[in-house]
Amino acid sequence: MEDLLIHKDEINMQMARYGVKFGLYKNGKFKERLFPYDPIPRVISGVDFQKLEKGLAQRVDALNCFLADIYSDKKIIKDGVIPSEFVYRSPGYLPQCEGITPPKSIYSHISGIDLVLGKDGCWYILEDNLRVPSGASYPLIARALSRRCSPDTFRNNDVVDNRSYGEMLRAVMDNVNTGGINVIFTPGRYNAAYFEHSYLAEQTESVLAESGDLFVENDCLFYRGNHGTVRVGAVYRRISDEYLDPLCFYPESLIGIPNLMEAYRAGNVAIINAPGNGVADDKGIYYFVPKMIKYYLDQEPILMNAPTFLPFFEEDMKYTLDNFDRLVIKDVAEAGGYGVVFGSQLAPEQKQDLIAKIKSEPRRFISQEIIDFQDLPIIEGSGTVMRKADLRAFVLSGSTTKVWPSGLTRFSRNPNSFVVNSSQGGGFKDTWITSL
Amino acid sequence: MDYISVTKTNRLFWLGRYYERVSLTLRFIMERYDEMIDSDSFDYHKYCYDLGIPDIYSSPEDFFQRYIFDPADDFSIRKSADTMLGNGMVLRETIGSPTLSYLQMAVYALEELATKNIPVGLGLQNVIDNIMAFRGSYDDFIDDDNIRNTIKCGASVERLSFCLRVGYMEECASLELFKLLKRMQRCQLQTNALSMQALVRQSRASEGSAENTSLDKAEFTQAVENLFIV
Repeated sequence: MEDLLIHKDEINMQMARYGVKFGLYKNGKFKERLFPYDPIPRVISGVDFQKLEKGLAQRVDALNCFLADIYSDKKIIKDGVIPSEFVYRSPGYLPQCEGITPPKSIYSHISGIDLVLGKDGCWYILEDNLRVPSGASYPLIARALSRRCSPDTFRNNDVVDNRSYGEMLRAVMDNVNTGGINVIFTPGRYNAAYFEHSYLAEQTESVLAESGDLFVENDCLFYRGNHGTVRVGAVYRRISDEYLDPLCFYPESLIGIPNLMEAYRAGNVAIINAPGNGVADDKGIYYFVPKMIKYYLDQEPILMNAPTFLPFFEEDMKYTLDNFDRLVIKDVAEAGGYGVVFGSQLAPEQKQDLIAKIKSEPRRFISQEIIDFQDLPIIEGSGTVMRKADLRAFVLSGSTTKVWPSGLTRFSRNPNSFVVNSSQGGGFKDTWITSL
Repeated sequence: MDYISVTKTNRLFWLGRYYERVSLTLRFIMERYDEMIDSDSFDYHKYCYDLGIPDIYSSPEDFFQRYIFDPADDFSIRKSADTMLGNGMVLRETIGSPTLSYLQMAVYALEELATKNIPVGLGLQNVIDNIMAFRGSYDDFIDDDNIRNTIKCGASVERLSFCLRVGYMEECASLELFKLLKRMQRCQLQTNALSMQALVRQSRASEGSAENTSLDKAEFTQAVENLFIV
C-alpha cells in the first residue's frame, strides 16, 4: 500500500491525462472538474464481500420482482404489504409504463446500491438507485491507472481484478438485446457524467449516440449511420425517464427520441434501465424493501436498511417528532445529497417550519436514525485525515444477477459532513475486494 | 465496423481541422517568435488581415501573449486547442482513450506554459509533440479507413487553407492537394461538385497538364474551404 501512496502524484497525473472529470452547473454555467481521487483504497475482505454479494443480489432481485408486479398485477398492494399511496404518489411511478413487459422481464439491469459500514461492523443500505446510477467508470479507470503507476502494489496484494466491468455490462446489454446493435444514449457533452458515457461506450464497444442519431420507424429503433441505418436492439440510456420520449413524457424535451416508448412497448428494443424504475428507488419505498424480499422471495433480508420511519404512519410520525433532534430527515423528492437535513443542526425556526411541512405532507418525508458509520483515511497534505465515506455497489442483472467485485467509494472532504456526493465536493476511492 | 453517424462524421472532420490548426499555427508562430528575438520583421497586422481575424492586439508582445494563450480570445491558439479537445472528447469511443489523452496533454502543456516560467519555444514544442503523438496514435490504432481519412481530410483542408491565406509553406500546397484528393475517396464526406471540379483542375495543372489552368490563390482557397459539406 505504501508504494501506492508514494506514486499518488503520478496516479493523479494519469487521471488528468485521461480526462477523468465530472461536470457541474454553477450559477448557470457548465464547468468540468477532475474528480478528486484518493489513492488509499477501501478494502473489503473476500469473506465480507461474499455476504454483501448475496445480500445485494437478493435485494435487486426483489426490486425487479416489485417493478414487474407494480406495472402489472400489483399483488403487493392488493395484499396490503405496501400502501397504494406510496406507489401512485411516487414521482417515479409512470402510468405510461403500465402493461409493458421489458425483454426477459428485467427492469433494473444496472443497480447502484449505496451502503455504509457502521461502527458496529454491519453494512447498512442507504438507498437504491435503479434509474441511471453513475460512477462505475471512476474506480474502473482508477484501478487501471494505479496498476500502471504502482505495479508492486498489485503484485503484493491479493486484489480481485475489477477491470471486467465493460464485459459484464456488455453481457447485460447482449442478454436483452432484441436484435441489432447496442447503443449508449447520452444527452450530450454537457451532461455531468459525460466522461462515463463515453468511457463505457469504449469499454463495451457500444455506439455512443445522441438524440439526433436515433429515430423510430415502424416501432423499431434505428441508428442513423453514414453507411445507412442500422437497427438498435438495446439502448443503455443515460438520460432521465421524463426526457426519454417527448411524445410520451415531457413534450418540451429536445434530447429524447420521439416514439421510443412505442418501440419499447412493441418489444422491439430493450431500454436499460427500464423507464418507470423510479417508483422502486423512491426514498419512501426504501422502507418497504425488506418486506418485498420476504414477500417475493420468501427469504429473510441479508442486508439491513438504516432504521427508517415513515411519518405517514401515525406511530412513526410520533417517533419522528419525539426524536427529531437525533434523526436525519430526508425529502423523498430530492436526490444527490440535497433535501437531507439533520434535526440537530436546525435553528428553532427552521425546525418548526420543517415539522409543519412533515405534518402537512407526511408522504413526502422519511426520517432515519443517524448511522455512525466508519470513517476512512484520506490523504490531506502530507498526512492522512479521517472522513465519512459510503460505498456504491454495482449490481448487474443479466442472465444471472452479479455484483461487480469493486465499487465506488465516495468520501466527504469536509470534516463535519456526512454528505459524500461529488456534486457537493466529495471525492472518490477505489474499492478493493481481497481474494481471501 | 464502427457505426458513424452524420454528427460524428462532422466531429471527426472538425477534429482534424482543429488539431492541424493548433499545430500548424504553433509552428508558424514559433518561427515568427524566433525572428522577433532580434528583429521586428513580423507584421502581425498583416497576419490578422490574411487570416480574416480581428486585429485586437496593441503590440507584437500583446499579440504573442494573447494570440497564443488567451482562452477568452475566440481566435487564439488556446481557444482552438480547447475546441480541438472538445471535438476529441465527444469521440472518445471512436478514437480511443489512449489516443484522446494526447490531446488532453497538449492542452495541459499550453495551460502550463501560460502560468509557469518556461521558455516559450520549449513549451510550445511540447504542445506540438503531443499533437504529433495524437496523429501517430490515431493513424496507428484506428482500423476504420473511413474514420482515419475523415480526420485527415479535415487536417488537409486546414493546412491548405492556412498555407494559402498566410503564404506559408506554399510550395507544399500541390502535394497536400494531391493527398486530399486521395483521402476523400477513402471516406464518406459529402462533397461540393463545383469545388471538387476546380480542385481536380488545379491538381492537373500543377502536374503540368496544358489543358488546365491554375486557380488563383483566392479561388484555390475558396474551393478548398467549400469542398466538403459539413
